[in-house]
Amino acid sequence: MSIMTQYIDVDVRPILRAGGEPFSVIMSALENLAPGQGLRLYATFKPIPLFAVMQKKGFAHTEQALEGGEWEVLFTPAETQPDEPAAAASNFDNWPDPAVTLDNRDLDPPEPMVRILAEADKLGPGETLSALLRREPVFLFPQLEKRGFRWLGGFTSDGTAYELTVRAPS
Amino acid sequence: MIGSNISRWTMTYFAAALAWLFVALGLLVAGVGYPAGDIASPDTLVLVHVICVGWLSLAMCGALFQFVPVLVAKPLFSDKWALPALALLTVGLLSLLGGFLCLGGRLPPALWLLPLGAILLVAGFGLVVLDLGLTAWLRPTGPARFVLVGLASLCATMAFGAIFAFALAGWAGAAGGVVLSSGIPLHAIAGLGGWLTLTAMGVSYRLLAMFMLAPDVDDRQSGVTLAVGALAVAFAVAGGALAIGLAAGLQIVLSIAAVLGIASAALYGRDVAGIFSNRKRRHLELNMRMATLSFASLAGMALLGIALVTFDAFLANVGAFAFLAIFGWLSGLVLAKLYKIVAFLTWLETYGPVMGRAPTPRVQDLVAEDRATKWFVIYYAAVWTGTAALLGGEPAALRVAAAAMTVCVVGIVHEIVRIRRLADVARPLRLPVGAVAPHLLFARK
Repeated sequence: MSIMTQYIDVDVRPILRAGGEPFSVIMSALENLAPGQGLRLYATFKPIPLFAVMQKKGFAHTEQALEGGEWEVLFTPAETQPDEPAAAASNFDNWPDPAVTLDNRDLDPPEPMVRILAEADKLGPGETLSALLRREPVFLFPQLEKRGFRWLGGFTSDGTAYELTVRAPS
Repeated sequence: MIGSNISRWTMTYFAAALAWLFVALGLLVAGVGYPAGDIASPDTLVLVHVICVGWLSLAMCGALFQFVPVLVAKPLFSDKWALPALALLTVGLLSLLGGFLCLGGRLPPALWLLPLGAILLVAGFGLVVLDLGLTAWLRPTGPARFVLVGLASLCATMAFGAIFAFALAGWAGAAGGVVLSSGIPLHAIAGLGGWLTLTAMGVSYRLLAMFMLAPDVDDRQSGVTLAVGALAVAFAVAGGALAIGLAAGLQIVLSIAAVLGIASAALYGRDVAGIFSNRKRRHLELNMRMATLSFASLAGMALLGIALVTFDAFLANVGAFAFLAIFGWLSGLVLAKLYKIVAFLTWLETYGPVMGRAPTPRVQDLVAEDRATKWFVIYYAAVWTGTAALLGGEPAALRVAAAAMTVCVVGIVHEIVRIRRLADVARPLRLPVGAVAPHLLFARK
């Protein structure tokens, strides 16, 4: 990491604490960086999923634990340019097809959560699994987060099932 | 962070609430307060506030700190306020009770304890209202709206209570005296009806659906139930306050509020019946079977209220009506749900970190329902016997019923402690590598 690098601070802790999704804020901060500038990110957890994205965009990272389980991460532009920034960004949107699909709709709680965690732990780096549930698994999310997984979820359009996709850290 | 972690102090709230429940049952057994004493006596005020603030409100707050984030799928506004709030509420309640005891001549006169207690309770509940209100406000849908109306009712209850406390200490002038002389029914309706009942309804919608694998009740449908219930409370509080201001009688206002209240209970009954019949999980766990006895008590309350009003005997029997509301409907539901909530949170806290990596027990393996069922069944039987004793004017029979209730609550608390200690989990599964045994009184982080 070069001492010359100038860092722009992005503090996403208020967004995370409010339950929001900070990804777009980080990406727009990234777009506004001048060449050679880096990003200093403050988050309430170690943003493992982001490391792979940033690496593809040409940033190396060093992280440092702060008090209260919070993290400061320095993203420093690497010497070599990324091959194709646009493609790298869409990589994040286009997660690979699920390696595992689970239908947990008819399992008694908390069996759906146990099964998802067990299968998620078997995923290879960057792989995804998808699961159908009867309800929004609110108690599962903190467990996924503690293990460094990312997830996307929502009810199907007819409202009868909750569709969850979990992605292993790259 | 999205989703819900374990609330660190929920168990502490539950433990404090159960301690106050034992105090209340002890007072009933000892014959302190109504019905052994006058319904408006300081001793009765002690008993009522031990139950409503100490037992029911603390248990409700503990449950809400855990479940409001679940209702809205957002983290709590602040994790740091729960413990100071508990301290303020405990000291405030002790001070208020001390004031009542002074009022009754059981302690040397120190009436400033009443306003002091009121200020501390307002501060404690204020923290709770702000924390939960700001959390629920993020996604005010379905059950979360019940909690918001419940919290608003809690504010109304506190406002009346604070005026009473200042008036009793002689610090509220003539206006305070007027409010004190006729406002007590409004304080009780806002507290028992708005704060405790509407909040219990709201949380029950999500808990029942979650644990029975039933689809959530349609927002519009539960919204009607809430609107009618909120209207009943609003009508009683605002209409009642207006009537007091105009020096008019409360009778018409309270009659309309009662009709709305009964309608809301009926609509809630329809919603709950819908959850039960649409459930995917056919087997009913103990907490659900026992909750039905609590719903039966709520229905019994509605019928009892109608019968008493029809025979013009409501005021003479308001004690029996309140007893059924407090011990049959609210306490019964809280005890049944505590049994499940403690088991679920203990399971999540202990086995969450190793889930999927090592064999873990099921939530059901933490409980021994067969052993616990008898305590619940006898508890409800004792509550209904106690209600009959009050209707029949038999204070001695009520004390026997209260003694039976005490024994049952000891039994239930013993089961809950066993859950917390993982005492019923088979040895090989109890503590897999990486799992840490839970602390009895708070959640480890």
